[in-house]
Amino acid sequence: MISVKNLQFSYTRQPFIENMSFEVKDGEIFGFLGPSGAGKSTLQKILTGLLRNYTGSVIVSDTEVKRHDNSFYENIGVDFEFPSLYEKLTARENLRFFSSLYRKQTDIDYLLERVGLLHEANKRVAEYSKGMKSRINFIKALLHDPILLFLDEPTSGLDPSNAGRIKEMILQEKAKGKTIILTTHNMYDATELCDRVAFIVDGELRALDIPRKLIMSRGASKVRYTYSQNGREEGAEIPLNQTGEDSLLQSLLRENRLLSIHSSEPTLNDIFVEITGRRLQ
Amino acid sequence: MKPLLRSFGIFMYQISRDNMLWAVCIAPLLAAAFFRWGIPHIEILLCEHFQQQAVLSEYYLLFDLFLSLITPYLFCFAAAMVMLTEYDENVTGYMAVTPIGKRGYVLSRLLLPAVISFFASMLLMHFFTLTVWTLWMTTITCLLTSLLNVAIALLVFSFSHNRVEGMAVAKLAGLVMLGLPVPFFLSSGVQYLFSPLPSFWIAKFCVKRDAILLLPAILSSLLWVWLLYRKFEQKLVR
Repeated sequence: MISVKNLQFSYTRQPFIENMSFEVKDGEIFGFLGPSGAGKSTLQKILTGLLRNYTGSVIVSDTEVKRHDNSFYENIGVDFEFPSLYEKLTARENLRFFSSLYRKQTDIDYLLERVGLLHEANKRVAEYSKGMKSRINFIKALLHDPILLFLDEPTSGLDPSNAGRIKEMILQEKAKGKTIILTTHNMYDATELCDRVAFIVDGELRALDIPRKLIMSRGASKVRYTYSQNGREEGAEIPLNQTGEDSLLQSLLRENRLLSIHSSEPTLNDIFVEITGRRLQ
Repeated sequence: MKPLLRSFGIFMYQISRDNMLWAVCIAPLLAAAFFRWGIPHIEILLCEHFQQQAVLSEYYLLFDLFLSLITPYLFCFAAAMVMLTEYDENVTGYMAVTPIGKRGYVLSRLLLPAVISFFASMLLMHFFTLTVWTLWMTTITCLLTSLLNVAIALLVFSFSHNRVEGMAVAKLAGLVMLGLPVPFFLSSGVQYLFSPLPSFWIAKFCVKRDAILLLPAILSSLLWVWLLYRKFEQKLVR
């Protein structure tokens, strides 16, 4: 679906994206993770054909992006991080207008119902809350049933219930065979949704793999426990795969002296910090 | 073609729902009526007061030139205001990733309003000029003023962050019209200080009626459009 080879791009004379190469397969959810200013949005702008003055090769849906025509957008849906809606129009008017730009169209009411806004559809967007605007913005990208979706922070500003609803819809789009590019700095969303993630820092691709593999490659899960010793609380930590060899833990279990015991796994954020030396959030 | 027309449709819809932009689009008609009937009346009063044969009538061509410029100026101002609203609402960047594309957006927001303003300007020039204009001169002049105002719309959009700033920049951009009176009041070489202004060459062409002056008039306008379009394009995808 997407093939990027030796991509280089710069806004100024200083290189911004350098020698980037990766591929995204059909039907995959591919995540770009990185802190603000890392180059994620620039990369999305290149992939969606907004920035054409790059060097290298960027092929999206069999089209070299810098040579695309406007029919290229018939199969691409984009959900920008910030809502892009006419504030003076109602949600329904907005969706009708944007839908009218495409040859293929879907049922607007069905999409509104999916995000719980069917009964608010005739309100002007200016009266919407941030979360409501985000939900309308998200379904705007699905109006023409695109085969490739670019989603930039789709759950940003949403409460857990609505964030869950959007994530469920993303997974349903994947189940239909859509390819989804997810740009985020939310490690939980990335771990939950993405088949593969790429860490981007300072315009460079620092790592690319399956989230679980990235997590497991950097150290196993650990077990932390506390116990009572001479009236004082003591603690210890061991790798999960060595609990059978920890004689202290064995004896504490036999003597019922454990005060607490927890297992902890590294998160994608820990791995990101370890690989890039930077924080995601 | 359909996305382009839809895009132009939403552009017109926004103007129709904005009272200020309505007034801006009607203003050329009011200005034309004032030029056609108000100026000659003022001329009579001034001649009586100063005991002169002519006070303003020598400059009737200048009033006609302002008339040819005012319609595209106000139409392109309205277009720039709509674009700034869309920019505030992040719609500008989004349009570029729909079948409208960047080019379609530019066509529906700059070229189509300029074409409409050209015909509106022609119509006003036909009915409201103070001097006699041939169809050829009217057509060429209105084409030139429409082209110049595309540059002004680009200037207003590219150098403003919102509508309030846009209105301030539009007032400043009115200085581009300053070239119009120059050939009427300066005959020495000093007048060429205004040569970077396309309005100077438009006025010069209309005063001298020399076709060779069309060349600097067109080239200076195209240069302004080209320079400002680069800035405009950067803002579209930012």
